[in-house]
Amino acid sequence: MNIHPRPNPIIAALYMLRDIDVDVVIIHGPSGCGFMASRMIEDAGIRVMTTAMNDDDLIFGASGKLEDALREAERRFSPRSIAVIGTCSSMIIGEDMEASIRRSGVGCRTVSVDCHGCMGNNTAGAIMAVEASAKAGLIPKEEADRQKYLLSMATQMEKERGMASVQYLQPSNGPTKMGVAKKIIGCLSNNGKLAVVSISKKELAYRFSDLFLAVDQACKELGGKAVYIANLDPQKGLPRIRGYAADILSELSAKGISADIVGGLDEYAVIGEDMKEAVDRHSPDLIVIAGIPHAYPDLDKSQILITDQPRQLSNYLSKGYDAVGEISSHQMVMNVRKIVPTETGDTIREMLRDIS
Amino acid sequence: MRRIALYGKGGIGKSTVASNITVSLSKKGYRVLQIGCDPKADSTKLLLGGASNMTILDAMKNGRPVHDAISRGSEGCYCAECGGPRPGSGCAGRGIIAAFEQLEKNNIIETISPDVLIYDVLGDVVCGGFAMPIRNGYAKDVFIVSSGEMMSLYAANNIATAISDLKDVGYATLRGMIQNSRGIDEEDSIVDKAVLEIGTTVVKRIPRERTVQQCEAIGKTVVEGAPDSQLSKIYAGLAEAILGLSSDDEGGMRIV
Repeated sequence: MNIHPRPNPIIAALYMLRDIDVDVVIIHGPSGCGFMASRMIEDAGIRVMTTAMNDDDLIFGASGKLEDALREAERRFSPRSIAVIGTCSSMIIGEDMEASIRRSGVGCRTVSVDCHGCMGNNTAGAIMAVEASAKAGLIPKEEADRQKYLLSMATQMEKERGMASVQYLQPSNGPTKMGVAKKIIGCLSNNGKLAVVSISKKELAYRFSDLFLAVDQACKELGGKAVYIANLDPQKGLPRIRGYAADILSELSAKGISADIVGGLDEYAVIGEDMKEAVDRHSPDLIVIAGIPHAYPDLDKSQILITDQPRQLSNYLSKGYDAVGEISSHQMVMNVRKIVPTETGDTIREMLRDIS
Repeated sequence: MRRIALYGKGGIGKSTVASNITVSLSKKGYRVLQIGCDPKADSTKLLLGGASNMTILDAMKNGRPVHDAISRGSEGCYCAECGGPRPGSGCAGRGIIAAFEQLEKNNIIETISPDVLIYDVLGDVVCGGFAMPIRNGYAKDVFIVSSGEMMSLYAANNIATAISDLKDVGYATLRGMIQNSRGIDEEDSIVDKAVLEIGTTVVKRIPRERTVQQCEAIGKTVVEGAPDSQLSKIYAGLAEAILGLSSDDEGGMRIV
């Protein structure tokens, strides 16, 4: 059992519906439920509403409020699709959201996700969202099955090696980026070969890909050799996710950087072995693994690990890895189409200025 | 103030027993408040001549003062019903919790200042909400109403277990069983055996008599509808016994 705060199934469902490009999500619950995540999802262009359930609604039920919210969503936004997701409060009292959707009379496509916070794995909510979206015809069945497989593998990975593998982790901001920047610069200055791996989860690639840009600049100024390996296959996954990969690839290519592509941005949990194979082919002197480093097999202490998660960082540091955190990356990449600078990247750039 | 809760299986006659106790005590000059804790909101019906009043939760929902949900009934007693959702929607247990919060927030108990507070609680202990009266210092003395029928005694046993489970955090103590007879064979000895197993005693046996139905038909308790009947005397005796078995403590709605 994990006793540190963990992402919950409601939020996982919310993010998955964003990936599926649903136009409006109505959270059937109190207005504060999922507030922080909702704001992030709104930054990504999805409209989020709630039924603002209160104590009366807990006691008497709130199906009428949900019907009103559905009609209001249709009136305000003329959406192509609306998803309704459950919360602890609506699901504990057994609200029938499908019935409310039918009674509301809305004409667009609708998805009903009966998730709540006490379902165990957070991916349980995402899986429900995938199934409901396939049922509503928003995504093909094959893609739904693929997503379900990837989600189950992500859960397994987290339980074996991630934040779900430890009962309690105290969040950490970790050390400054000076140490890892020195190591990277040292490797290239000595004419060494550096492999930079981005094994990122979806939109976070907009941030971790900055390491390619910073290392490329260092390589040009200092010598040495750098190779880049990334899960940026633009032909894998839901259209939104493919779009992220296409954005990043075109930016890299505009700067003359080419990367070995291993898998798509939603395949981080299943491509570790293939990534390692691709890296080993280059026989690098130093490996930098950014994104979800524990998705990469057989980590060792000579490598540099870069994560965005304060608890994951503390997990790595407690095991003796050389790790730094690009904390708060997620909110920086919710509404971007371009690569966002990292602190590690900026530290490398600053050191390069000092050297020259 | 005495803080008493009556629990028992649904349909076993809790509200009839509670209402007869309330009227008996009121007749003797005690200020009694009977609070129905059942979404059906029919605990105090006999005290109000068959009428039903606005519930605490209806008042809360409609923005009315909670005081409006308190009515005066037979012999000047005070009546309140928690109320709750229609069957099949919402959460009745949450309703009990919210109704209690409303009573406390509005100082209803302090305002009425009853000598005896009687909670008449739905059926079995079905969820946390219905355990409210025996948690958090609301009721101090609990009586279970049961017949000799198996399902009723089964529910009685569950209730006794719930009270005992909450002993370390709660406040309520099981003080005995009120046998509301159904007239089955060997009923007294069946109940005697059951209370022995549960670890309590029979406070009073109420015989099965048509008087109850006759009085209910005219919207009255036995104590009012047939004041000279043997049954009326038994209820008076029960009311006395309950006073003797419960403790009289200072304070508001809860003793914390």
